Amino acid sequence: MFTRKWQPLRWVRYVALAPLLLLLNGCATHSIWWIFDPHGVGAKASFDYMMIDVAVMLGIVGLTAIMIVWFMWRYHKGRNRGTYDGKWAHSTTIEVFVWGIPILAVGFLSWAVAINGSFAVNPYNPTVITRHLKPHGDPIEVDVIATDWQWLFIYPQYHMAVANELVVPAHTPVFFKLTSTAVTTDFFVPQLLGMIDVMPGMRTKDALESDSIGQYQGVAADYCGAGTSWMLFKTHVVSKSDFASWVHHAQQSTGNLTVAGFNRFAEPYININNKVEYFSQVQKGLFNQVILEVMHGRKWPLPMFMTENMVGYLKKQAAEHRA
Amino acid sequence: MLVNLPGPWNPWLGRLALSEIPYTNPILAPLFVVVVVLGLLMVAGITYYGKWGYLWKEWLTTVDHKKLGIMYIILGLVMLFRGFIDGLMMRTQQAMAVGPHASGMMGAVHGYLTPFHFGQIYSAHGMIMILLAATPLLVGIMNIVIPLQIGARDMAYPYLNALGLWITAAAVVLIMASLFVGDFAHNGWFGYAPIFELAYSPGVGVDYWIWTFQLVALGTTLGSINFIATIVKMRAPGMKWSRLPMFTWASLSANIIALTSFPCLQVAIGLVAADRYLGTHFFTAGFGGNLMLYTNLFWLWGHPEVYFVILPAFGMISEIIPTFSEKPLFGYVTMVLATFAIAGVSWLVWLHHFFTMGMGPYVSTEFSVATMLVGIPTGVKVFNWAFTMYRGRLTYTAAMYWALGALFLLLVGGLTGMMLSIPAINYMVHNSVFVVAHFHMMLLCIVYAIFGSVIYWFPKVFGYTLNEAWGKVMFWLFSAGTALVFIPMFMEGFMGMTRRLDWPFDPHWAPYLNIQVLGILVYVLSILAFVVMLYVSIRDRAQHRAAADAWGTSRSLEWLTASPVPFYNFAVVPQVNARDEVAWRREHGLSAQRASHYDAIHMPNNTGIAIIIGGLTFVLGFALTWRIWWLSLISLLAIIVMMIYRSAKGDPGHVIPAEEVERMDREAERTMPRADLPRHSGGVLGGAIAYDSGAAGEGSANLRGAPDYRP
Ligand code: HEM
Ligand SMILES: [Cu+2]
Ligand SMILES: [Cu+2]
Repeated sequence: MFTRKWQPLRWVRYVALAPLLLLLNGCATHSIWWIFDPHGVGAKASFDYMMIDVAVMLGIVGLTAIMIVWFMWRYHKGRNRGTYDGKWAHSTTIEVFVWGIPILAVGFLSWAVAINGSFAVNPYNPTVITRHLKPHGDPIEVDVIATDWQWLFIYPQYHMAVANELVVPAHTPVFFKLTSTAVTTDFFVPQLLGMIDVMPGMRTKDALESDSIGQYQGVAADYCGAGTSWMLFKTHVVSKSDFASWVHHAQQSTGNLTVAGFNRFAEPYININNKVEYFSQVQKGLFNQVILEVMHGRKWPLPMFMTENMVGYLKKQAAEHRA
Repeated sequence: MLVNLPGPWNPWLGRLALSEIPYTNPILAPLFVVVVVLGLLMVAGITYYGKWGYLWKEWLTTVDHKKLGIMYIILGLVMLFRGFIDGLMMRTQQAMAVGPHASGMMGAVHGYLTPFHFGQIYSAHGMIMILLAATPLLVGIMNIVIPLQIGARDMAYPYLNALGLWITAAAVVLIMASLFVGDFAHNGWFGYAPIFELAYSPGVGVDYWIWTFQLVALGTTLGSINFIATIVKMRAPGMKWSRLPMFTWASLSANIIALTSFPCLQVAIGLVAADRYLGTHFFTAGFGGNLMLYTNLFWLWGHPEVYFVILPAFGMISEIIPTFSEKPLFGYVTMVLATFAIAGVSWLVWLHHFFTMGMGPYVSTEFSVATMLVGIPTGVKVFNWAFTMYRGRLTYTAAMYWALGALFLLLVGGLTGMMLSIPAINYMVHNSVFVVAHFHMMLLCIVYAIFGSVIYWFPKVFGYTLNEAWGKVMFWLFSAGTALVFIPMFMEGFMGMTRRLDWPFDPHWAPYLNIQVLGILVYVLSILAFVVMLYVSIRDRAQHRAAADAWGTSRSLEWLTASPVPFYNFAVVPQVNARDEVAWRREHGLSAQRASHYDAIHMPNNTGIAIIIGGLTFVLGFALTWRIWWLSLISLLAIIVMMIYRSAKGDPGHVIPAEEVERMDREAERTMPRADLPRHSGGVLGGAIAYDSGAAGEGSANLRGAPDYRP
């Protein structure tokens, strides 16, 4: 029934394997592999846990794959490589291994990466950062408010804020409190710290520490409407002295953020031209005020034209972009 | 109106207006014309050949589980294609839009799709692929195979079966309607709170999503009740639990999951509907609403759902590999245990879909470990399939190709799943295309298993085998497409590319996105190969007539009856003597054994009520979406009236006289080729009963396993 008279396009099977070649050039360049090139204490820890997990799992999965391929080759009908035993369907020894190996692996991973890792990079209290806190160290606090579709970073210690750009000093723990005005999204700087949800009417926390001065891309990692893709912010890790002068510079700006001003800022806006804004004065307690207002039913509704047919709106934005 | 509806509304048409039809859209308008022309051609063709009566009598009103299964599969394949087109658009958009300098057209800043349009496409893609392609395909195969595997005449509730199909079809029509009338949801197949609230999604898109979801959930729940009842109550004599074929076991566990989890989804989506229609605050950010509650309720269904779709696929692999290894499945008992272990643990892991909500290390650890526990029985299954091949005699048929391909995809999906289940790692790749690649490995594992089983069971249903060579060509093209699309996607995940970007901002991603477009083109070739396979197979069907045991090495009960299966499944209900009954009979020289005594068969009657109710549920969904209250009310009342009418009327069924059964069975016997197998010469072994002929005069033995259709 299965005579092989004609096998059209035999070669296509090799095409299937071709993409594997791509893996060879992996890791050659420096910074496009953000997850493999962590520069934050938390991101580094996550990377290490990933390597342990992958090593264990690849050990099992890889060997299983080899075993399967070997069986496929050896027991190919008509090739007479292995002996056929059409009755053999049970072996207690094998069953013990079959259950034992996954159980051991999962047991080990549970302890080594699941439990340890959950505490090490717990966003609310990442021990990889907090256990090194010197009593006289002075962490930076940043209150993050996500709007539709911009990021506002308030530095309460310095009474100033900046939109769509985050600047933090190196070698210093930074503690974030986060919320959102309208809808849920995720705060994420791939090379520095993992994702944390930002939710309207709620407050989450995260922490960051980096030893490498540089510029890193921050994103809104969860879909939150039409402006998601443009909801980007550059994160600059700078030296402590540069940070001080940056703060000073920001404090000279004319921007001023009251609650009313904030409510205007939080109107739906797609940040196509990557606008960065500084605010030298920020009303005290703005962060809590926003959460409270949302809890009491404040919304920033989307107009129809920002959902159904965005063509006109985007044209306007694009023109603004070119100007 | 209880809520503040943006935009116009009038009592007759609700929110419906001519402007809701996107006749100026350069993609949708031509597509609409094509659909209409194709539809008209079909109608004209059917009319010309005078096939309306045939269509109505043989298909639209049927309650035959095989025909319903075939229609489920056709529905699933059509939606698989629609979902693929969505995928094609997403891939081309991202490839065209990548980087800050990519040009834009048709109103988009970059690429050719505006953000909102892109959102609708991936939302529809996800919803269609999981609920309207994979699920109907699996339900269709279960429908065809389960009654045959357990020796039943039909499902326990044939009418309910038809109802499930037509309600699912209504969901399909509803989601297709959203293409041409109004919009679909933009916030992902699983929806996010509170973006799906009226304030942030003022259009009808989310409403389409709600009612499509409710309809498929209803259809699938009805189906699951039916499958469970069938497997529990309708097994042929001798089909003990310890002899149940693996696919039936897997389907049983899957349907228990479905029955217990889909209601949870319906409640969650129902509450979303309450928020949007009645102005409640279940999932709003303010007024005491709890948006995380939605996420919990959704994934409380969502995770079991992914096992609802993978378990039957595991069952299919467990049927194909033993057949082409010429050996029983290794570790049957362990395999059953593993199946139920997976089903059970799948209830305890839902939080792994949102580790990033900041739940604290104790809760995350708990769910992380629970998730990894699923890896244990899954690993056991893989090992057991491997040891089924060990000491076997492997024939590499096209079906076997697909089953083995599924195995390798499962390995990749399992490896990446074990990465995602660890919070420390999850924080870095959650919501990235790495997750997308993970679950596509798993869902493609299902698709591979489905293609494998379509090839495997095709001869049982249609009486001839599909073309092997083209099946293999399709396999290799499809696999090349899979590799070209998803290996770069995994890599992009490590580059930190998040999912659902209508504009991938980093130009470094460009080469990888381009490779994916190439992969999509290879997928297109594989679809062509599929069409050619069908064409060639149908053309050459006379040369490829299948015997009852189409593969010569099959094992389970469905291979005992004639190919193609007669509408009554088994002329005489078989007596089951062993776990792999057909293999057992072959080994004991009983393959040629035929019944000597026939009895009358009692079968259910066709009914048009199921399709009418299905149509009405579509009208209800459409009317609710557009807030046309009078129409909603009328269609709801009509559904209730139809249900009462059917219950009151009942179905006495009809009886096929014994002589007629005998005639048909002999005829099938005559036209079917004999499997060219070495036959043992021995007769019936001591004590073995091939057919339960029943005590004379009672005549009921053959009806054992057949339900009483009387009300
Ligand atoms: C060893 C078994 C598996 C493990 C450990 C596992 C683990 C996970 C985890 C942790 C996530 C959440 C990722 C995230 O959003 O951050 C996930 C997502 C997902 N998994 Fe799996 N998984 C497994 C098997 C499966 C199977 C069998 C399927 C389905 C057929 C599946 C389908 C999905 C889907 C659809 C999603 C994402 C849904 C979405 O966000 O749209 N997984 N998996
Ligand atoms: Cu929350
Ligand atoms: Cu899950």
